[in-house]
Amino acid sequence: MSDSIIQKVADEFRALSEPQGNARPPAGPAPAAAEPVGNGAVHGEPFVSPHPYATVLHDRRLAAEAQGLARRDTLLYLNGVTKSFDGFKAINNLSLVIQKGEMRAIIGPNGAGKTTMMDIITGKTRPDKGEVFFAGDVDLTHHDEAAIASMGIGRKFQKPTVFESHTVEDNIRLSLAGPRSVLGALVHRKDRAERDRIETILETTRLTARRKTYAANLSHGQKQWLEIGMLLAQDPELLLVDEPVAGMTDAETEETARLLREIAQHHSVVVVEHDMHFVRALGVKVTCLHEGSVLSEGTLDKVSNDPKVIEVYLGR
Amino acid sequence: MLLARFLGPRVWILVAVILAAAILVPLANLALPPDHALHVPSYLVPLWGKYVCYALLALSLDLVWGYVGILSLGHGAFFALGGYAMGMYLMRQIGSRGVYGNPVLPDFMVFLNWKELPWYWLGFDQFWFACLMVVLVPGLLAFVFGFFAFRSRVTGVYLSIITQAMTYALLLAFFRNDMGFGGNNGLTDFKDILGFPIQAASTRAGLFAASCIALAIAVLLVGWITRSKLGKLMIAVRDAESRTRFIGWRPQYVKLFAFTVSGIMAGIAGALYVPQVGIINPGEFAPVNSIEVVVWAAVGGRGTLIGPVIGALLVNYGKTVFTAAAPEFWLFMLGGLFVFVTLVLPRGIVGTIDHGWDALRSIRRAKDAEKDESGGDAQAVPGPAE
Amino acid sequence: MNRSIRWLLAGLAFVLFVAPAVAQQAADPAAIVQKFGGKQSYDDTEAVISELARTGDANVARALRALRDGDLYWRESDEAVFIGKRKGDDYEIFDPMTGEAAGTVPRGEMQKVRVKNSIRNAVTTALGSLTLGADSAAQRMRAAETLFSEADPEMIEPLDAAIASEEDAGVKARMEEARASAVLVSDRPAEEKAAAAKILANRADRESLTMLTRFAGATDDPVAKQAAEAAIVAIQNNIAFWNQMQNVWYGLSLGSVLLLAAIGLAITFGVMGVINMAHGEMVMIGAYTTYVVQEFIRTNAPGLFEYSLFIALPLAFLVAGAVGLVMERGLIRFLYGRPLETLLATFGVSLILQQAVRTIFGPSNREVGNPDFMSGAFDLGLMSVNWNRLWIIVFALVVFAALLAVLNKTPLGLQMRAVTQNRKMAAAMGIRTPWVDAMTFALGSGIAGIAGVALSQIDNVSPNLGQGYIIDSFMVVVFGGVGNLWGTLVGAMTLGIVNKFLEPFAGAVLGKIVVLVLIILFIQKRPRGLFAQKGRFVEA
Repeated sequence: MSDSIIQKVADEFRALSEPQGNARPPAGPAPAAAEPVGNGAVHGEPFVSPHPYATVLHDRRLAAEAQGLARRDTLLYLNGVTKSFDGFKAINNLSLVIQKGEMRAIIGPNGAGKTTMMDIITGKTRPDKGEVFFAGDVDLTHHDEAAIASMGIGRKFQKPTVFESHTVEDNIRLSLAGPRSVLGALVHRKDRAERDRIETILETTRLTARRKTYAANLSHGQKQWLEIGMLLAQDPELLLVDEPVAGMTDAETEETARLLREIAQHHSVVVVEHDMHFVRALGVKVTCLHEGSVLSEGTLDKVSNDPKVIEVYLGR
Repeated sequence: MLLARFLGPRVWILVAVILAAAILVPLANLALPPDHALHVPSYLVPLWGKYVCYALLALSLDLVWGYVGILSLGHGAFFALGGYAMGMYLMRQIGSRGVYGNPVLPDFMVFLNWKELPWYWLGFDQFWFACLMVVLVPGLLAFVFGFFAFRSRVTGVYLSIITQAMTYALLLAFFRNDMGFGGNNGLTDFKDILGFPIQAASTRAGLFAASCIALAIAVLLVGWITRSKLGKLMIAVRDAESRTRFIGWRPQYVKLFAFTVSGIMAGIAGALYVPQVGIINPGEFAPVNSIEVVVWAAVGGRGTLIGPVIGALLVNYGKTVFTAAAPEFWLFMLGGLFVFVTLVLPRGIVGTIDHGWDALRSIRRAKDAEKDESGGDAQAVPGPAE
Repeated sequence: MNRSIRWLLAGLAFVLFVAPAVAQQAADPAAIVQKFGGKQSYDDTEAVISELARTGDANVARALRALRDGDLYWRESDEAVFIGKRKGDDYEIFDPMTGEAAGTVPRGEMQKVRVKNSIRNAVTTALGSLTLGADSAAQRMRAAETLFSEADPEMIEPLDAAIASEEDAGVKARMEEARASAVLVSDRPAEEKAAAAKILANRADRESLTMLTRFAGATDDPVAKQAAEAAIVAIQNNIAFWNQMQNVWYGLSLGSVLLLAAIGLAITFGVMGVINMAHGEMVMIGAYTTYVVQEFIRTNAPGLFEYSLFIALPLAFLVAGAVGLVMERGLIRFLYGRPLETLLATFGVSLILQQAVRTIFGPSNREVGNPDFMSGAFDLGLMSVNWNRLWIIVFALVVFAALLAVLNKTPLGLQMRAVTQNRKMAAAMGIRTPWVDAMTFALGSGIAGIAGVALSQIDNVSPNLGQGYIIDSFMVVVFGGVGNLWGTLVGAMTLGIVNKFLEPFAGAVLGKIVVLVLIILFIQKRPRGLFAQKGRFVEA
């Protein structure tokens, strides 16, 4: 976001400082069209005014582009993120990249920083330093939880948190993507499209029969699923799922894995999980965290054979 | 009827009862001869009117406490501010009939040797302006206070304490003579309202009816808000505030909306209360008063529409009876009521009945469900969690 | 001068040889002063003067000065002596010893004590010797102080003499100040007055400021005027400084009271997350315990009154602690995890306790006496320090230190800290959290009880005592944050001082409102208070 502004200002400067009667096309949006700036590709050397501010802007722009290139196609981009609580480094120089459409499993022993990482991505915690970008150029450290959720990052908590005094249906209705204005909610009317959408989600999460049940009366596994349903209702680009199968039966675990794979066809998903069978069932790239930074990354086989990982899990 | 389904029959019965009271009580007071069995004596009309205002106040607190989980210990402040706005109008209506006979200045200002009306008293000779202020002043205070409190995510007991501090600060301020609100004595000796003598039985009957209508409208308004999607969101905020953030809502604005609406309702209650009791003084700001409102709502059942109304009527009726019979024991009773309600009856009267009803129904439904699939709803709806 | 000495000697001889008969009653200066009454010769008058001089009592100075100025009269009816001031056709009369007004008398009834120059000289000498020459340094000091306030130019010479022979540096400085004050109103040269202004600048109190201001307004001499104005500025700065110190002192005093009231609240809130609305009533119970102890002592062992507070302290701790324990076991533990309902229930308890005390002891204030060491005040620089306030500050700090020690050095403290930080983990480690809760609540209530003992010394003991402190205590806890006692200390002292500094500008009530508003704004930045608990397990 910030580099696009810089881009715009730089363009304006260039346009203003263009000598009259130059062979180049007149000022305005035309140069931008001739030289597509959004994608950061550099077609030859652009004209830079000798004005000191313009040169500074140009340098900045090049730097931003160089970085932007690295993260342009990513969905989630963490670089050098550090966060400490009272001297304890929960996250230590963590760098992690999730591509669009990717599903990633994150494993790691207790205290590896998995939950703190999610807190940082969703805006609950601000990192001490480092970059967190969503969809290439949205700096997540400048937004609050609600804004980040509306951008398309959904989160499922480790401990299932649903609205217990509401029915399953209402839980999903509150989560449905749409405007989030308070007065809008006051005059909101249920319509056909909304009903259909809820229907679909209920079916996906196998909760159709329970639609009128209060969430408090669901079993643990059903609550987990309801939370996943609420995630789906938000229609996020990226789902952060924290230990979705904790406390589930084997059958439920298998179902959940199937559900997540299904979801991953249309969304990017980051799953934090301890259960290795479940991770294996997912069959995706695995990142192992330890003491707040990445220890190992790759297929599950590769990671689980990594001596560093074995040492961390089994001890010396 | 669609509307009946919308709020449930019970709420409509309540509204009907309130509206019936608005018509029948004044009739029984004015039209029936004093020796008639159904005659309502004149001293009872303002007393019952007072209860109705308290019910409105309790309902306003219920909107924030029962539905959004904000335990405000400062709702008396909004009530008193609305009351003061109305009192200022009534004060200006006295005109030259005051003790000092000053056509513009209220007596206490003449007494303090003030030469002209302070700017914030201007306009209060107009009824419409006073009505505007009744809504605006408490609403604005609630909005500004709520904005700062909710933005910084002050919650739970912290918030309760801060609201208590707010009403305490106002209490101190209104005790000052140089604030221009009559200091210790407040505003009193009212003569008439909209040209009607304030002591007359017909005026009091009219005020009673107005209070009932206001309460009925408030019940419907709160019903509409809490049954809307916003109302569901309020309950969601009450039960799991941080969760609402992660699905993209901003709970601070939900709370701010409820708090502001609630503050305005409390202000209107205060404005209706003052002409019926004939006085408004800083004592209304006392933190104890605000906490008493909480117990009314708690006794009736928070998080329900009719609970706070019933609670306010019951507790205040009890207060009238007991303070007349054994004044020194009333505080024991009230204190005991706080303990009893929180310990034994946390859902209040209406909530407990509802809960029992729901439990029955869900047991029945669970039996039905067992036929289709294994596992059932062992438990009923949870009460409002903290 | 010679003559006056002669007269003095004659007077001495008179006293030695003639007056032994009256020597017994001569011990009372007031009686001697009465001897001016009645018709008498100049010699008689001088004899009385010298007799007065020998008493060494500075109180007679008033009568002597009146005599010198021709203001001493006696009443014809009973020969009683008064100081008189003419007022139309009457005299206003004053007691010659104390200066108290004694009414108005028609002119015809009063006779003047006649004076001539030799008598005036005798008086001046007597005044100087009588007060400045006294044997005890304290008496000379007092004389110098009296002379300072009187600023009498006639006294410059006796002062010069006294300064020359004075050996005590402190008394000498006082005498020089007295001389300077006299110089300012004398007709001495301007340079001398300028020097006097400097001396007064060093004294730098409100009295010298008044003198200098009056002098600066009256004098025409530029040098003296400049010196006086410089001195005025210096004194004003000094007074401003002490005013600030006095404010800080009042602030610390208020802060210590807040600390006492809030510290128990802070630990119960910190450990249990519970706001005890009946905390103020625990303070009240402590105060009433003090009252009962004092009543018991008054009727049974009056000699122990001085120690009544020390007896009341442990009792108040036990009584309030026991009430707290009963509350926790009988009520609060059933409401665990429902902080808002706990708040309401404890409020109910507070109503019951208030009404109970009102029923037992009556609604009016109860008299709790101050033992000697708690009463009175002393001056420090230009500020006045009350002993009871000082002891309460000391006491608050002792309680704070003791509580800190309990938290940091005892097993209970360790368990309390563990529960504060992570209740579930503490329970998993085998700490009996219900027991810790009960002990914490009893401890917090007990501390409120001993706070009540302290507050009984400075506040009215009534059933409403606790309510006056409860909101302020909450503010301290909200401001200071929980989980750290230092937050409570800093919070209480800050609020106390800020309150007292705002008072002169905004008045007591507005000052309090400003503080409340400031706290509300403050929690915008730090919602969890100054010393917030930090860590991964704190819910945002």
